[in-house]
Parts: sequence; C-alpha cells; structure tokens
Amino acid sequence: MSLSWICVDAASRLLTQEEREAVLGDLAEANENAGEALLSILGLVVRREAEHWKSWRPWVAAFGLALPASFPLMGLSVSVCWVFPKMLEATHSMQPQTSLVLFSFWHLIPELLMLTGFAFTGGFLVGSLSRRTLWASALACLGPCLYCFAHFRTESLSGLSLLLFLAPALWGVREAVRGKRIGSRTAIGMAVGWLRCRL
Amino acid sequence: MLGEFEYILITAAAGLGNEAYGAAIRDEIETLAGRKCSIGALYTTIDRLEAKGLLRTWLGDATAERGGRAKRMVEVTPEGMQAAKDFYDTVTRISRGASWVTSRSGANPKETLS
Repeated sequence: MSLSWICVDAASRLLTQEEREAVLGDLAEANENAGEALLSILGLVVRREAEHWKSWRPWVAAFGLALPASFPLMGLSVSVCWVFPKMLEATHSMQPQTSLVLFSFWHLIPELLMLTGFAFTGGFLVGSLSRRTLWASALACLGPCLYCFAHFRTESLSGLSLLLFLAPALWGVREAVRGKRIGSRTAIGMAVGWLRCRL
Repeated sequence: MLGEFEYILITAAAGLGNEAYGAAIRDEIETLAGRKCSIGALYTTIDRLEAKGLLRTWLGDATAERGGRAKRMVEVTPEGMQAAKDFYDTVTRISRGASWVTSRSGANPKETLS
C-alpha cells in the first residue's frame, strides 16, 4: 500500500465502522485516485463535524461549561494542595495525632469533597451535553490550564497542583459517555452536600 | 419541505429502485442533474433524510469490484415519496407563468396566449 493510500486509510478511521466500509467501497468502485479519495473522506469528516455544531449543545459544553469552569476548578485544586503544607505545619506545632485528624476533618476533607464534586459534575455535564464534540470541550478546558500552568510561580507548590481536578472531571466524562444518569434525588443530595461543605 | 439536493437524491434513489446505494446514487445524480456530487454531501444528506424518516438504509452485500466492501443500500419510504411529490407539485405550481417555462411544444405559454 502506498503512502497516499495509508493516509486515506487513516483518514477513513475518523468515520464509523459502517460508514467507513460503505465509503471505501464507493471510492474503490469509482476508481478514484488517492488524492481524490482523501479529499472526499476529509470533506465527509468536516461535514459530519459541522452537523454536530448546528446544535446548541456543543457550544454550551465547550464555551459555556468547560472553558469558564476550568478557572474555579484550578483554584479549588490549588486550594486543596495548599492544605497539605498547612497540615504538616500543624502536626509539627501541635500534638501530632489529634491535630492531624482534626485538621484533615475540618479543612482537607471538605475541600477534597467539593473539588471532586464540582469537577465530577462539570465533566458529567460536558459528557452528557455533547459526547461527539468532547475534543472541543477538552481543548476549551486545556487552553486556560496550559496558560495558568505556564505562569504558575509558587515555591511550595508544583504547577501540576492546578490540574488536580482533571481526575474527577475525566471520571465524570467517562460516566456520562457510558450512558449513566444521575437521578434528581442524588443530584439534589450532592448539591446540598457540596454547599454544606463550602459553608 | 425538501431542499433541492434532497429532492434530487430521493428522485435518483427512487429511480434506481433495488439498486440504490451510495456510488450508484452519486453516478445517477452526476449523470441526470449534470452536477458534481461529493461523497460528503451525499452521505450527510442521506443521514439527514433517514433521520426525517424519508429514507431507510442498511448495509448490503460486498462485491469484488468494491474491494470486498459492503454497499450502503438506500430505499425511499412512502413518506419520502410523498415529500418528493409535494416538492414537485409546489415547484410546478409556483413556476406556472414564469418567463423561462415553456410548453411541451417548446413555446412560451405567455407568448402563446398573447
């Protein structure tokens, strides 16, 4: 197989299995050369993608949720990471066992719960709203992350602490893509729990 | 109401009957309508019409000339035929009296009347 046909084959993998089968068959039947075949497939892929963007869902998922939510989530991530040095400081200055438990309970656990809750919910919403344009939502979220990562200057914390929210957010996206649904009682319970943590 | 390309596609698929599939419909459109038809336009329109219930598609047999790949067969549903008929009737109705419309004999009906 020549390099150009390898490109055609690679581009055709952007289509669904059934569509790939039909389109490659049509191209073979029409005796199109590799250049024309590649343009035809890329044209179809672009049209497919454009069809998704006719709906409001990908716009809201990428620019209404993923992009603006990345800033507070990075803030929450850093806030959770800040607790660790404070916790170490406290354990040195007070009675070790008691202070560790108390500090964890009053500061770390609520912060962690809130970060996990918000990040999971955000990821779940983005995944539920538009699973076919997840790449765009990921880019909208990663843009601010990379910017802040590049400009993050703190001696006691690594820039990676900004990205702590990514794990629960990806977990939320995964659950949504798998078709999980959150019942209204669970959703209200989670919201009340997180607000209580914050207060 | 159907769009122009949707009407052309349904008409080509209906004309091909049991032999209507991607490549054959594309050939038919290029031959009859005299216009280039890209695979992207063809398949996104087929999907749109299928979502509206005007077409039905399924994967057919593979043939050697297609490199052993299956065909995406297309069938026009009764709703699709009705939509095409409505489009045709509308275009015919609104075109009556237009200067470019000629009678079967080739003469312009307006000129014939005057």
